[in-house]
Amino acid sequence: MTFFDHLLGGIASGSVIALMAIALVLVWRSTRVVNFAQVGQAMFTTFLALAVYRGTGNWLISLIAAILAGAILGLIVHFLVMRPVRRQDGSGAIIATFGVLIALQASASMIWGVDPQAYPPIVDIIGFEAFGRTWPFSRYDVLVLGVTVLLVLLLSVVFTRTSLGLRMRASAFNPTVARLSGVRVSQMLALGWALAGSIGAIAGVLIAPTFSVTPYSFDILLILAFTVAVIGGLDSLVGAVAFGIGTGLVLSLVSGYSDSGNASIVALVLLALNLLLKPEGVFAHHHSRSV
Amino acid sequence: MSMKIPESIRELPGAFFLRNAIIVSAVAGVFLLINTQLEPTYSFYLAQAAMYATAMFGMVILVGLSGQVSLGNGALMAVGAYTFAITSMNWQTVPILGLPWNAVWSVVTAGLVGVIAGLLIGGLGARLSGPYLAGLTLGIAVGLPSIIYRFPSFLGGEDGFALRVPFPPGGYAAQDGGEVSAADAAAEEMSNEGFEDFLAEAGGDSSEILEFDQEELATGETPLVEDEVLEFDQDELSLEQESTPDLVQDVDGESPPAEISESEDSFVDLVDESAGVIDLTGFVIEQWQASLAVVMAAIVGFIALNLIRGNQGRIWKAVRDDPVAASLVGLSPQSNKVSAFVISGFFAALAGAVMAQIFAYVGPALFGLTLSLSLLVGVILGGRSSLVGAMVGAAFIVVLPKAMETFAQQLGWEDRVADNLPNLVYGLLVVLVVLVLPAGLVGSLMVAIRRRTQR
Repeated sequence: MTFFDHLLGGIASGSVIALMAIALVLVWRSTRVVNFAQVGQAMFTTFLALAVYRGTGNWLISLIAAILAGAILGLIVHFLVMRPVRRQDGSGAIIATFGVLIALQASASMIWGVDPQAYPPIVDIIGFEAFGRTWPFSRYDVLVLGVTVLLVLLLSVVFTRTSLGLRMRASAFNPTVARLSGVRVSQMLALGWALAGSIGAIAGVLIAPTFSVTPYSFDILLILAFTVAVIGGLDSLVGAVAFGIGTGLVLSLVSGYSDSGNASIVALVLLALNLLLKPEGVFAHHHSRSV
Repeated sequence: MSMKIPESIRELPGAFFLRNAIIVSAVAGVFLLINTQLEPTYSFYLAQAAMYATAMFGMVILVGLSGQVSLGNGALMAVGAYTFAITSMNWQTVPILGLPWNAVWSVVTAGLVGVIAGLLIGGLGARLSGPYLAGLTLGIAVGLPSIIYRFPSFLGGEDGFALRVPFPPGGYAAQDGGEVSAADAAAEEMSNEGFEDFLAEAGGDSSEILEFDQEELATGETPLVEDEVLEFDQDELSLEQESTPDLVQDVDGESPPAEISESEDSFVDLVDESAGVIDLTGFVIEQWQASLAVVMAAIVGFIALNLIRGNQGRIWKAVRDDPVAASLVGLSPQSNKVSAFVISGFFAALAGAVMAQIFAYVGPALFGLTLSLSLLVGVILGGRSSLVGAMVGAAFIVVLPKAMETFAQQLGWEDRVADNLPNLVYGLLVVLVVLVLPAGLVGSLMVAIRRRTQR
């Protein structure tokens, strides 16, 4: 394996980290909450999608089921937990998201058990053969990268070119002024949670074939996505994508040259460095992060 | 507060400490008394609850008073537990003030290393608020097992260290060698029982690592930590036999007794015969463990009570409620946030040392994200600014899984459902408490009582 091979191998995993970070960013934008339950929601919808896949044998239907379930779960969490908790101080909301995470992981363990399950990939996961060797880049990686790019483009078009996107950005940027201008802010917040839930669900289904699905196996993804979202500034989609793929590359290099078990240590070091050197994030739109 | 005591007495120097000392020793004394009457199993629950309470007193200061949500206190407990284990195994030859090294020095060292770890994490986190700090400490909790795997020879890697706990001081002296090893064997057997429960509670291990190596992905080979844990869980005896001699070391500095190399059958026989032998000391191992844990909780509780009711408690609250106003009156938000972390690191490390004692084992499986989460859950349920709340929360996270187990057994539910029921209840309760009783069970009760008495 050469340096280039390791880089190539990191693109797909980086895209999935980026998707998960986008989900965190969307929720942060709409409600100023870091949803630590996001990855738990994605885990849950991935299990649902797996059940659908086993029932129907159709990968696309399972993906659509995950997207719908993700949106519904996002709305449930938003309306049942996060909306009622919004009047409390910051730590109440953070703790509530962890409560949701614990409950989701426990229910998934109850329903599907803690044994690892395999989610079959829709296309070939073995790397392409060219120039007499196998490259660490497969059709599946192309699919993951393609879906990520497509989603990011779609989101940017929605956010910058449509009136719905304008209303969502307005509610996130200044809810009071947005409300005065006639924007139904609460609807926009709910939409943000639903959208984040769906994107998280897509990320879950996409990453599932590359590792064993268990109720707890997504924990590391939470750390990585959080790291990426924070380094990107928590409200920047561009930052989430750039640093998501960047982190994927770094992790691939680290696991290529040392040991894949170091992934979480690398994430921790990246996060600590960022928080020490540039705590407001690299791509933050405004410097609102306080002490 | 203490309304009936005249002002003149209350203002005597030392009256504040004296009153706190009386409160703490009364509470600890009650628990120590109860402990002598308990069945061994319940004593072991008491030991665990006291151990959690010790760590949670630090969480009360950190989360409740200083308003920093930390998920890293399980990692700080690991720091204490590992320091305790490593110093008691390897530092036997180091004399302190002319006396040989003993467990007390290991506990003290664990506390000091905990202070350093708290200083590091707190210093890193002092500039951060809310979600950033939670995320950073979450990263520490999730990353910790990987760090332990990094250093298999120094930190014991995945297997961890099995410890031999000195019990009770002088208790062995009157007995001959055979009985000593029998009591020892029983001690290990029993503490492993508790450990087994603990692992079962911990449920799935969270140290699953993302695999990025494409070739490995293709073959679908993913190393699972759970398997290791289960294997260990099912048969501690086999672990004893498999582990290399340098892993199983005697805290007393003796060479590992012969029965470890004996066959499983005779080992079990020894345990059965030993039932009467332990009673010679008048104290079973669980009761000894519970006393240790309660005494530690009392010491830590005394420090915490003085801090919380004293000046420092007000400073932490001021910094939490309004950092700008606090800095205008000359209180530094940064250094007071760090100090809360240092104190909670100290407490957590001491709790970790107790944990190493009562489980007679340290290993990464004990210190997953689940531990940090249960510390947070306990403090939130009990009441995040109340030491009594922390005690209630500690009792809760020990008792609830057992209660749920019995409940599920009576209803004849599957293991899969029964094992995860406690976590589901935790999660839902945390959400419910945050929504309905933000001050926690005890905190809200206190508020209600205060309102009624004022009327």
